[in-house]
Amino acid sequence: MVMKYLSGNEAVAQAALAAGAKVIAGYPGTPSSEAIGSIWNKDIAGVHVEWSTNEKVALEIAGAASWANQRALCTMKMSGLNVAYDSLISFVYSGGLGGFVIYVCDDPGVAAGMPEQDVRGFAFMSDMPVLEPCSVAESYSMTLYAFELSEAIGGPVMLRSVTNVAQSHAIVDIPAKRPIAERPLLLEKDIAKYTKAGAIICMNQHRDLIKRLEAAEEKIGADGLHQLKLGKKEGLGIISVGVINSFIEEAMGLAANQGIDTKDFSFLRLAGSNPLPKKEISKLIEHCGALVVLEENEDYIERCAYLEAYKAAKIMPITGKQNGVLSRIGNFNAVTILKALYQAVDQELPPQFISYEGAEALCAARPIGVCAGCPHRGVYIGINQAVRKLGYKKDEVMVTGDIGCTILGMSPPFHTLWTEIAMGASIPMALGYHYAGIKTPVIATIGDSTFMHGGMPGLLNAVQNQVDITVVIMDNGWTAMTGMQVNAGTDLAFQQSNSTKQADIAKIVQGLGVTQLFIVDPYDLPLMTQTLINAIPLAGIKVILARRECAIQTGRRKIRYGKSIVLEDKCTKCKVCINTTGCPSIVFDGERVFVDAGQCNGCGICNSLCKFGALVKEG
Amino acid sequence: MLATTLDIYLVGVGGQGILTIAELITKAAEAKGISANFFPTKGMAQRGGFVKAQLKLGHNEVGPDIRPGGADLIIAMELSESLKALRFLKQDGDCIIYGYNWQPTEVMLGKAPYPTVEQVKEEVTKAGGHVTYLPPENMPEGVADNIYLLAAAVKHTCLGKFFTAEEIQEAIISRWPQGAERNMASFEAGMGAL
Repeated sequence: MVMKYLSGNEAVAQAALAAGAKVIAGYPGTPSSEAIGSIWNKDIAGVHVEWSTNEKVALEIAGAASWANQRALCTMKMSGLNVAYDSLISFVYSGGLGGFVIYVCDDPGVAAGMPEQDVRGFAFMSDMPVLEPCSVAESYSMTLYAFELSEAIGGPVMLRSVTNVAQSHAIVDIPAKRPIAERPLLLEKDIAKYTKAGAIICMNQHRDLIKRLEAAEEKIGADGLHQLKLGKKEGLGIISVGVINSFIEEAMGLAANQGIDTKDFSFLRLAGSNPLPKKEISKLIEHCGALVVLEENEDYIERCAYLEAYKAAKIMPITGKQNGVLSRIGNFNAVTILKALYQAVDQELPPQFISYEGAEALCAARPIGVCAGCPHRGVYIGINQAVRKLGYKKDEVMVTGDIGCTILGMSPPFHTLWTEIAMGASIPMALGYHYAGIKTPVIATIGDSTFMHGGMPGLLNAVQNQVDITVVIMDNGWTAMTGMQVNAGTDLAFQQSNSTKQADIAKIVQGLGVTQLFIVDPYDLPLMTQTLINAIPLAGIKVILARRECAIQTGRRKIRYGKSIVLEDKCTKCKVCINTTGCPSIVFDGERVFVDAGQCNGCGICNSLCKFGALVKEG
Repeated sequence: MLATTLDIYLVGVGGQGILTIAELITKAAEAKGISANFFPTKGMAQRGGFVKAQLKLGHNEVGPDIRPGGADLIIAMELSESLKALRFLKQDGDCIIYGYNWQPTEVMLGKAPYPTVEQVKEEVTKAGGHVTYLPPENMPEGVADNIYLLAAAVKHTCLGKFFTAEEIQEAIISRWPQGAERNMASFEAGMGAL
């Protein structure tokens, strides 16, 4: 045993390496990014680690590696599984050879944005086993087990984590490294397994898939992954899964201190939701007089409990979401468990578990902003200026947004963007508004990584139909919001040593057939605005490529573009600069406006906004 | 009897070094063989956004989140953001606040309100906690404010019943062997802050 300080994400990556994974691919997405982030660019012998173009590409790469009889891991956030699912479901129906683990992080309580979805639903839809670690330690041990299970049943296994497990850091006991037997490379030709050609093949695959899930149920049962502890006959039974398992001890300790006889309770601690642990649940139902079911978001286990109770012809109270005690919204903590517990034992929740919540109302609002020196700022202000100068009101011009840092243009002071749906959605949505009959200009905005991830098909669609929309691609060279990962367009100097080609979005756009391409530096605000003014009225599809590296990354390399200063004799304190840019480096202290030299990188976007000439570059 | 567990809720603004305080306490726990679960939440903040961390020390099995009313200690690095932590404070828990104002633009322009020190202290009392307030104007020039706050927390809150000043100092030195002198000066300043 070795003690190691790891996050949940890192534990998954380390366990995959220990399990002998040969291909590890994914796309960044909070809260999952550190899994690949922690092992990327480390030149690990015999292992291919990559940030793929998108989650679907990553999954197809990892899936095929498993079909060549190698172990493979694929990582993503829950939204990424929506992208990858088309391929995943086909892989699951086919089954595989080498262990294939798909690591997906849900975000109950929404720490990072996007729908509060529960990816276990995808596992149920494709009859795919899903394991749910409750801690950093289990993130490690369950990853190891997931590879074993995958090979035992001959199909992919989902490892579903959640934000507070994936992002937790703790000391973990790492078992001593066992030598991993090299798996022979195989090229298995089997049309009935690896294609979907015809009804017979597809229905046979469906039958085999169901058998694999049954095999998983048997193995998980035989290996004792679910823990059933029976208490008093006809007493209360508590079912929990995933991160909730880690809160049970705390909640029971608190309840016991209040005089609740918790040692009478029965507990079923589940290691995962699919295959549904029907046997264990029916044992609990047979033994207990009432149940509490604890799972975040959807009520899959709880519905299984109702079904098993019905099959056993036993009517018993079940506390959870169906009876309205727990919510499908948000994440749980020990108090959530106590609420359900006190309801189940028909007692009032003691007042010490109800905390004072009034303080937050006094807290100053802190909208998500744009960093000092962010090149996107030039695009948002440029769009706002161009719309006005072309004679439109702001609420007459639709500007669709995409995913990532580029969406921050929805925030004050810009209020530029109207929509946020999914990676790449901004361009087809602009088409939709246009086809719906909107006569005013429609503008789509998208980032570089997002464009390559999912934006290209939409742009091709626009080219094919030569639609009158304007697309602004904000190319800052990085997949920034998720913590600065590389993408195909990132400078080769920052890529892994085996990367040999940098994608050029200008060439991609031209290759897709766009003839009206304008390349502009968003730090040059007058040119940015003028380019938009020129491009927007033109017929057909126009692309403006606003190109400037992310200020966080250049800042880390100590790159400055001079320094902006306020000439106090010219400053009228009108504060147009602050109101227009929202730049954190421009400060008004109640008496004077000045630039915080520690934050300003000299981007110069603010300079042209001051009509008194008070904001200038020093020197 | 000495407490065997300590749950700490830390809040601040991205760029202040609040997560570093949590990491240093985790390191000190590690050195003492105390189990720790450290759960930072950075959200989308690069700089200037709300940042929090939840630190649970000494538990056998531990969920990452501190329950409402469950924190023994709140460590806040920004005056207004400290309010977001208060519903997690235990009755009779400690709350130490470094009263720096990191004003959002609307506040800076006088268009939005910002809580006063007195308001915040009153809210801590309403939540049933004991407040230790460090006025930022008292912090000496050149001092690392997060180390200053951490030292004051050892001196004035229940953190000091769990760790000695030396144990925290060791964690700081082992983290940055190079900058030991400046950090120890910051630590000393924090110990003598009030």
